[in-house]
Amino acid sequence: MNEAGPARLEIRMHLPLAHFGLDVDVASSARTLGIFGPSGAGKTSLVEALAGWRTPSSGRIRVGEALLYDSTTGVSLPIERRGVGYVPQDALLWPHWNVERNVRAGTSRSSADDELVARTARVLEIAHLFDRACTRLSGGERQRVALARALVSRPRILLLDEPLGALDVPLRRRILPYLIRVRDEFGLPTVFVSHDATEIQALCDEVVVLDAGHVRMQGAPDRVLRSMRAGERAFENVLAGVVTAHGDGTSRVQLDAGGDVWIPTVGSEVGERVLFALGSDEILVALDPPTRISARNVLAARIDAVEHDEDGSARIDVRILDAAEGDGARVSASLTRGSVEELALRPGGRVVLVFKANSCRVLTADGARAP
Amino acid sequence: MNASLSSDAGTAAVLWTTLRVAVTAAVIVAPIGTAIGWLLARRSFLGKSAVETFVALPLVLPPTAIGYLLLTLLARDGWLGERTLGFDLDLLFTWKGAVLASVVVSLPLVARTARAAFEDVDPRLESMARTIGMSRPRTFIAVTLPLARRGLLAAATLGFGRALGEFGATVIVAGNIPGRTQTLSLAIFSEIQLGDTSAALRLVAITILVAFVLMWWTERLLRRDPRARTAT
Repeated sequence: MNEAGPARLEIRMHLPLAHFGLDVDVASSARTLGIFGPSGAGKTSLVEALAGWRTPSSGRIRVGEALLYDSTTGVSLPIERRGVGYVPQDALLWPHWNVERNVRAGTSRSSADDELVARTARVLEIAHLFDRACTRLSGGERQRVALARALVSRPRILLLDEPLGALDVPLRRRILPYLIRVRDEFGLPTVFVSHDATEIQALCDEVVVLDAGHVRMQGAPDRVLRSMRAGERAFENVLAGVVTAHGDGTSRVQLDAGGDVWIPTVGSEVGERVLFALGSDEILVALDPPTRISARNVLAARIDAVEHDEDGSARIDVRILDAAEGDGARVSASLTRGSVEELALRPGGRVVLVFKANSCRVLTADGARAP
Repeated sequence: MNASLSSDAGTAAVLWTTLRVAVTAAVIVAPIGTAIGWLLARRSFLGKSAVETFVALPLVLPPTAIGYLLLTLLARDGWLGERTLGFDLDLLFTWKGAVLASVVVSLPLVARTARAAFEDVDPRLESMARTIGMSRPRTFIAVTLPLARRGLLAAATLGFGRALGEFGATVIVAGNIPGRTQTLSLAIFSEIQLGDTSAALRLVAITILVAFVLMWWTERLLRRDPRARTAT
C-alpha cells in the first residue's frame, strides 16, 4: 500500500457529456481532495474518467508518477492497470458472491494480502459479515464492504463517489467515522465526491467546486464553502477537538484550533477526539456577554471579515478567542444586514458568540485517543 | 415405416434420432449463439446492424428456404461441396445434416436470448471487476458468465427445443429416412401422410410432453431473479 504520502494529482481533460462538456484543469497535492457540486455537475463523470470507465476526448491525467491518460502521447492505461480503488454511490458489489469473496476479489492468496484483508476488516468492522450474502447487507454495510474491497486491491489512489449519498442522514453520520478512520489509517491519496458541504469539510484538505462541467473554485474547504455558503443551505462550521470534561449530558471540547466549546455527550470519553458541525444560523452574535442565559456556549470572538450578500443576508467570519485571548478556531455566523449595521460589526471588532450545546451536531466520536 | 413406428422399437429409434440431433445441435449452437450474443450486447463494430440482421434472418425465412440454401451449398458443386473443398463433408441425408439444419434455424433464437442475458448484466459490475485488477477474460469468466448464467441456460434450452421441433430445413437437408434421419416431427408428418392417426397422436403426445417440460424449465430460468444480475 502506498503510504509514502500524498501524490500530486493532475487532471486536465475535456470529456463531452450529454448536455455539456466536462472541462477540468486541476492540480492538487491534497491528501483528500473533495469534489463538490450539485447533482449533474459532472462529478461522477470526472471520477469515472480517473478510473478509466470513460475516456476523455483530450487531456492528461496523472497520479503521482503514474500517467493514466495523455492524449498527446496516446497513453490510456487500461482499467485494470490504473491502480485505483473506486467506491461508487451504489457500491456495486457482485451479487453472486458473499462478502468475503467480494473483498478478496482483488487479492492473491499471499500472507501479506491476508494480513491486509484482516487489517481492513478490523478498521471497517466487517469481519463478522464475511459469510453473509451481499444481497443481505444494509446500506451502510454495503458501503463498508465496497470500501474494503477497494482498499485491499492496493490502489495508488482512492476514489469515493458519494459513498454516503444513498444513505439516510443518521446512517451517513455513522459511516463518516469509517471514512475518517480509513483516511488516517491508510494514508491514501483520496478523491472524495460529495454534494454535502459538511462531509467535505470533515474529510478533505482541499475542495474543487464543479458546476455544469467547469471548475468554479478550488481551495481550502472552509474558505471555499464558506464563501459560496454551501449552496442554498446555511453554512455548517465543522470543528474538531478533544473531549476534556463531561457535564450534565454535555461534554467540554478543547478545539484543535483553540477555544473551548460544550457539545452534547455522544458516548465520547475524556481524551477522545470528536468532530462536530455547528450551523452558521445557530449562532447568536452579541456585543456584550449575556447573563442568566440557558445556552452553554458564550464565547468571546474577534471579527475577521464581514460579507454582505445580494439577498440582504450577511455573514461574519470570526475567531474564537481562547482563555489567554489568543486566536482560536474560525467560525462563521449568519445574520441579517440590518443586524450587522445595528451592531456596527466591523473587521477587528469584538463580539460574543452564543449557541446551545445541542446546536452542535456530533459527526464523529472516534474511539481514537488524542495523542 | 408405419409398422415399425407402431412398435416400441420404432418409436425408440425416432426418439433416439431426435435426441441425438437436438442435443448435438444445442451443444454446437450454444457457444456460437453465446459468442454472437455477447458481441452484439457488449461490442460496437462496423457492420453491427448487418450482423444483427443476418443472424435474425433464419427467424423469418421459411425453414424450407434455409434447407434449400444449405442443400445448394453442400451439393457436389456448391461452395461447401466436394468439388470445392476437395473432400466430402458427408452431411447431406445424414443425421449430421439434420444437426446442421437445426443449428442454422435455432441460432437466431439462441443468439437473441443470449444477447438479452448479457444486456441484463450491469456493465458497471464488469468495470468494477477490472478496476480491482481483473483482466478482461477473467472478468468475463468470474463476473459476466455467472451473472448471465440463467439467461444463457435458457438460450441453450430454447436452442434445444427449436432443434427438437425442426422440420422444414431438416427434411430437405437430411431427408426423412427411418432409423437414420427421421426425427419426431418428420415421423409425425409421415404418419399423417400414411393415415395412421393413432401413431401420429402418440408421437404428438410425446412431443407435447417434451415441449411442456422444456418451456416450463425455460420460463423458470428466464424468470427474473433480482439477486442474479443487478448490483447490490
